[in-house]
Amino acid sequence: MSDPADRAGAVFGALSDPTRRALLQAIAAQPAATATELASDLPISRQAVRKHLTALADAGLIEHRRAGREVHYRVTPAPLSDAVSWMADVGGQWDERLATLRRTLDAR
Amino acid sequence: MSERIERRLWLAASPEDVWDVVTGADWLADEVNLDLRPGGDASFRSSSEDKAGWVEEARPPSDSPDGSGRLAFWWASDDEPATRVELTLEPARGWDGPEGTRLRIVESRPLDVLDLIGTPLPRSGGVTYGPALVAA
Repeated sequence: MSDPADRAGAVFGALSDPTRRALLQAIAAQPAATATELASDLPISRQAVRKHLTALADAGLIEHRRAGREVHYRVTPAPLSDAVSWMADVGGQWDERLATLRRTLDAR
Repeated sequence: MSERIERRLWLAASPEDVWDVVTGADWLADEVNLDLRPGGDASFRSSSEDKAGWVEEARPPSDSPDGSGRLAFWWASDDEPATRVELTLEPARGWDGPEGTRLRIVESRPLDVLDLIGTPLPRSGGVTYGPALVAA
């Protein structure tokens, strides 16, 4: 998962699910969320929360630490910026090509 | 879902003229070599990077009964996963007549599709496309 485009794929995959996006927002809203707290914030079961937490962690979007009997989750911002920079790089190249295309056709 | 870039634009030129430019020697990169037939080799040289790939489909507007054109190809540089580029050209009316083109460009890395197929895609120019590369 070191390649930016690979990372981008995993990130977009994880974020394609609306429940996971809501969960990620809920995690971002507090510094050390637990699965129980997150389940009470969202209309899904604790078991579903755990499943989605695993998907988000696999994509590198969140990280956790053990604190006694609790597990705390927080958002890791880096993978999202990888995905965004892939979109910006490739999108920017197409914008340049399309501007050139328009100029070339106008000059004919 | 896979990452995907999409652009659409309207151009005041016929699909044939647009096709000539987008498949030309210096539009997709500084130096373009495109063998415009299915499986044909493709190479793209720029100051920033070189890419190699192959052509999936090349249907010029002049060959099409409805005047539309389609170019689909794959490209990758050495240290990047391959992405698929699809250009669709459709004749579109201008104010004074049908002298316009709607151009749609999609660049994507269809991870899901490749995983589903599970077999290597054609190999060309030393670049392998397919699950092996995706899994790397």
